[in-house]
Amino acid sequence: MGGFDPQTFPGIPALGLSREYQETAARLLELSKQFQQRYAEFAQQNAAIMQDAIQVMKKRLDAAPPAPSSPTELYDAWIDCAEGTYAQAAHSERFARLLAELCNISSAFKVERGKLTEQIARHLDLPSRAEVDTLHHQVRALKLAMRAAAEAAAPHATASRPAAPRPAASRPPSARAKSSKPPPKLRKRGKK
Amino acid sequence: MNTATDPFADMLQSAAAMQESGRAVLRTMMGLGDVEVGTSEKRCVYSEDKICLYRYTALARSANLKPVLICYAMVNRPYLLDLQPDRSFIRELLLAGLDVYLLDWGYPDGADRFLGLDVYVDGYLRRCVEFVLNEHAIDSLTLLGVCQGGTLSLCYAALEHRQIAQLITMVTPVDFKTPENLLSKWAQHIDFGLLTQSGNVSGDFLNLIYLSLMPFRLTQQKYVNLLQLQGDRVQLENFMRMEKWIFDSPDQPATAFREFIQWFFQENRLIREELTLAGRPVRLENLTAPVLNIFASKDHLVPPSASIPLGARIGSKDYQSLEVDAGHIGLYVGGKTRKSVPAAVVAWLQSRR
Repeated sequence: MGGFDPQTFPGIPALGLSREYQETAARLLELSKQFQQRYAEFAQQNAAIMQDAIQVMKKRLDAAPPAPSSPTELYDAWIDCAEGTYAQAAHSERFARLLAELCNISSAFKVERGKLTEQIARHLDLPSRAEVDTLHHQVRALKLAMRAAAEAAAPHATASRPAAPRPAASRPPSARAKSSKPPPKLRKRGKK
Repeated sequence: MNTATDPFADMLQSAAAMQESGRAVLRTMMGLGDVEVGTSEKRCVYSEDKICLYRYTALARSANLKPVLICYAMVNRPYLLDLQPDRSFIRELLLAGLDVYLLDWGYPDGADRFLGLDVYVDGYLRRCVEFVLNEHAIDSLTLLGVCQGGTLSLCYAALEHRQIAQLITMVTPVDFKTPENLLSKWAQHIDFGLLTQSGNVSGDFLNLIYLSLMPFRLTQQKYVNLLQLQGDRVQLENFMRMEKWIFDSPDQPATAFREFIQWFFQENRLIREELTLAGRPVRLENLTAPVLNIFASKDHLVPPSASIPLGARIGSKDYQSLEVDAGHIGLYVGGKTRKSVPAAVVAWLQSRR
């Protein structure tokens, strides 16, 4: 009684010189935990879908003798049942929310991991993501300024050829379009 | 004489035949090597950053129609439209005498993560359109948008309707919130701001989502079916070309991707007339050019219900739709449709000469 519970450790406020790292590490741990929980729910949901699909398959086999005569026929019947059952579940709000939660937790984990990597890169004097991003913005701004200047200098100019386009290929002798099946009938629709 | 067959014996016999076929498939696959895709001759006539505007070499006498600029989706590679000589939407257009350009968005990387949709539509696409107009000394062209590229084309055509003589949209979502749209349902609760905070969205992530739409068919059944091809080299090469295309998915530039999902999938701004690009409102009612809207009845990515509402939203009085009995990809490469769809496009264009 009253012993140290490691599960509560990530909840303790971070203290001291390394508090920023502690907080990032704690968030990563918490997100990993959340991901595992949601993933378990997701796996459970998928198991339930499989169970339902097996029931549907069983009903189909019971209801429509004769039984499939080849493994392929049997397998295709199973795929139909599994896909049909899965589609029903996949269209549900519960499925969409669970999938989104998994995705959101995973995204949050990547963001925190990025912060940690950023800190490490700074300490090692390596180019960090933030620095590269800043450079991207600067290059972009420069390109826009150059384009604006070029357009101001030649207002009617538009897209130009690439620096070194391949020489134009010579046209082959004319050939009649091959005859093909008549095109499908088009439907004209009145405005609603 | 007892003629009744033993179902169990039949089953075993079929299993043995399948095993033999599987062996033949593996033997053939070992000698397949790399498959060629995008074989029609083309050259890059304009490039900027990662994008490239290709012009295809003519294969027939000119039909004297406006040049066609194809704007493909950013989420996949455009060579689906020219997969192989006998399965090539582009080749069919060329054989009909059309002058075809293709905007290839390339493979965005970290340097593109802050580029927004306005850069792609009002920047890259605009400059490609202007390049073609200048090249031919004309005021307007035919814009053909595919899937997400169709949505971007709609935006551009609404902004610059005078430059568009005809607009063709293929499997293009317009209403992103219809009950059949599973991708949209999944997208509603995902925090895309958070997702893109750590950079571009990987092509692998997108593929995982696409496979999850029909996991049993797309990750199991199609490979089991592969074993039944009896080692037919041509069919195996076709399979491998498609396999290559499916998993050749570029990473998505973070900002443009976030904006696309938030503005279109989550907020449905295009159809609600609430979309603004480059500081200008995008109003579909401004689109007055003739429009041909092609959609696929078995499309699991862009259900017909997502494409059909276009007709009621645009300002054009000349609107036609074409429902094709195919899936999202089968529309271009399917046995029946790979000729009939381009033929329909050409016929539609010729009737608006």
